Amino acid sequence: MNETATQFLGQPIDYVVILAYFIGVVLFGMYFSRYTHSTKDFFFGGQRFAWWLIAFSGIATTVGSYSFVKYSDVGFKYGLSSTQSYLNDWFWMPILMLVWLPIIYYQRVTSVPEYFERRFGRPSRVAATCIVLTYLIAYIGVNLFTLGQVLESLLGWHVMVGAAVTAVAVTIYVVAGGQTSVIMTDLAQGVILLVVGIGVLLAGVWHFGGFGEFWGLLPETHKYAFSDLTSPPKFSALGIYMQDGVINTGAFVLMNQGMIMRFLSLKSVKDAQKMAVCWILVLAPLAAIATGGGGWIGRALFENGELETTSKEAFIRTAHFLCAPGIFGFVLAALTAALMSTADTLINAVSAVFVNDIWKPFVRPKDTDRQLLRVARMSSVVAAVIGLGFVLIYVVQYESIYQAHAMVTASIPAPMVVAVLLGVFWKRFTPAACFVTLVGGSVAMAISFIPSMADLLIGPLSFGMGPDSYKFMRALYGLIVCGALGVLVTLFTKPKTAAELKGLVTGTELDAMRQYKGGEVNRRPGKKARLRVAVDTTLSDDELCVVPQSALDTMAADPGDLLYVCDKRWWFGGLRSVHVKAGEPGPEDLVKLTPGALAVAHIRSGQDVTVEKIM
Amino acid sequence: MEMARVWPIVLEYGVGAFLCGIGVWYGLKSGFLDLKSGDGKRMLAVIIGGFLAMLALVCVFTFWLPFVPKGVAP
Repeated sequence: MNETATQFLGQPIDYVVILAYFIGVVLFGMYFSRYTHSTKDFFFGGQRFAWWLIAFSGIATTVGSYSFVKYSDVGFKYGLSSTQSYLNDWFWMPILMLVWLPIIYYQRVTSVPEYFERRFGRPSRVAATCIVLTYLIAYIGVNLFTLGQVLESLLGWHVMVGAAVTAVAVTIYVVAGGQTSVIMTDLAQGVILLVVGIGVLLAGVWHFGGFGEFWGLLPETHKYAFSDLTSPPKFSALGIYMQDGVINTGAFVLMNQGMIMRFLSLKSVKDAQKMAVCWILVLAPLAAIATGGGGWIGRALFENGELETTSKEAFIRTAHFLCAPGIFGFVLAALTAALMSTADTLINAVSAVFVNDIWKPFVRPKDTDRQLLRVARMSSVVAAVIGLGFVLIYVVQYESIYQAHAMVTASIPAPMVVAVLLGVFWKRFTPAACFVTLVGGSVAMAISFIPSMADLLIGPLSFGMGPDSYKFMRALYGLIVCGALGVLVTLFTKPKTAAELKGLVTGTELDAMRQYKGGEVNRRPGKKARLRVAVDTTLSDDELCVVPQSALDTMAADPGDLLYVCDKRWWFGGLRSVHVKAGEPGPEDLVKLTPGALAVAHIRSGQDVTVEKIM
Repeated sequence: MEMARVWPIVLEYGVGAFLCGIGVWYGLKSGFLDLKSGDGKRMLAVIIGGFLAMLALVCVFTFWLPFVPKGVAP
């Protein structure tokens, strides 16, 4: 291994593989543009998908372009404890599944800032919009920049060229198909990046002759699930847990617009719960192995005297050592997949926030859905261009701007997470307190980045770990400061009335369900019914359907209940489906839908479908 | 056994149990988590099972696998 990181490691066949991958993903994404006819389709994929499909696409979103490099780096340096970041998400699941999801789903909240307006009023919405947009666009930039850097070291492309090619590819299919294209391409990319990451690990184990031999080569310090509680300061269990397990995961489930939109694209809250379980218990551990495995194998190769590498190059060097030409191209494709599947979600999320929180309320409130869809597509392009602008700045002023970005992303989540938590769990939490928490909390976080202030503010909370731990322990500081601001201001200001908070705070989830359905909720357990579709032009409303009494009995449904009609082929994952309301039962053994509903569902008359009660 | 390796488990799963407890408590209080229904019971079982499964995993990689002697397949 004489190559350096600045030399191209791959062969011409790897070029072919990665080029084919780019073209394939773009064409695959564009194919699904036929399913996008409204802003609901563009932002939420028509709210029709099954849990397994969203779980895979969600994991592709979680794994960013930097993940392979970053987690293989810490995997090489510290061993299996690199998995900490992916294995500490479960603790947030009950809050997500039983409190937050029912509120946003049943309240038909389209963006996180919109929740802030309904719960606290317009000033908080404006503050939340500024924070979320800054966060998302800067994050698009850093993803493009990271991939540009990887492609530069591997293929010799200039950073801007790599970033621009990727941005163009992603933007083409996001503009064409919106959330549906994002979900379907992320599904494919999620599979690719898991297969490649785990494949590198298995290839390494096979190279050593078995798991026992591989395990024996790792230093003992590399075999633990956690690093020590307070050492090393740059990777202590306490620091990682505060920064990643508490704040970042909290932000991911409570305020990440991209993930919120993914949850809202599911056909029901029950599917959202299943998706969350599959995502956290199955796919996140696999992602932890996929992204860290290259570092573990690299370390074993290093200990065995077979590979010279730095920790930062561990994944690439290990993959290059183990893979034949052509196969290495798939490794590059996995890195690209990790970037594209994160960037497409972020671009779509920026578009949603721009349309729902700026254009609709402040610029053109009377625009039709068709006009809004056009704005959504244009704002996707603008989001990608601004993201590329950030790359340009990162290239010119790497150190200061990259650090500034780190400051922005590290300081944003704490005020938002605290504001959402207090807003949901504490009815007394007032609009004024929310605004102060968001704005004052962000200012307090920014002040903590001034070196002399960091010692004063974060030093006492670093448990003796010193300045190297401030990056992590800033999360604890943020929690304390934002929490204190929120509580203090609440004590001196006026809360909203209970009637104004219906469906927006915990304890009122059933009210939210009633509002969503427009009537009393039917929670009797039922089964799916299998029926054949027929057209009925006499139905008064596209949202109405007729099913026989026997089907209503099977589903334990009543007229007026919300039903979900779906192509019987499960592997479509809900792509061909529609939500309707049960009308009075009909005499024939058919499910009758209007031509409009059939067009939305992409189902033909005479086709067999499953019908299930949603609520 | 180095306690420095044990305290992270105590911290993470202690705070984690608290967070899980908040979610379950408020789910029950609001009526959204209904333990009279099969779905509600399954949901609670999954939450507790997931917690214990993750705990078991980190215990394996803290108390057993690091101490497997070289050359012996775990």
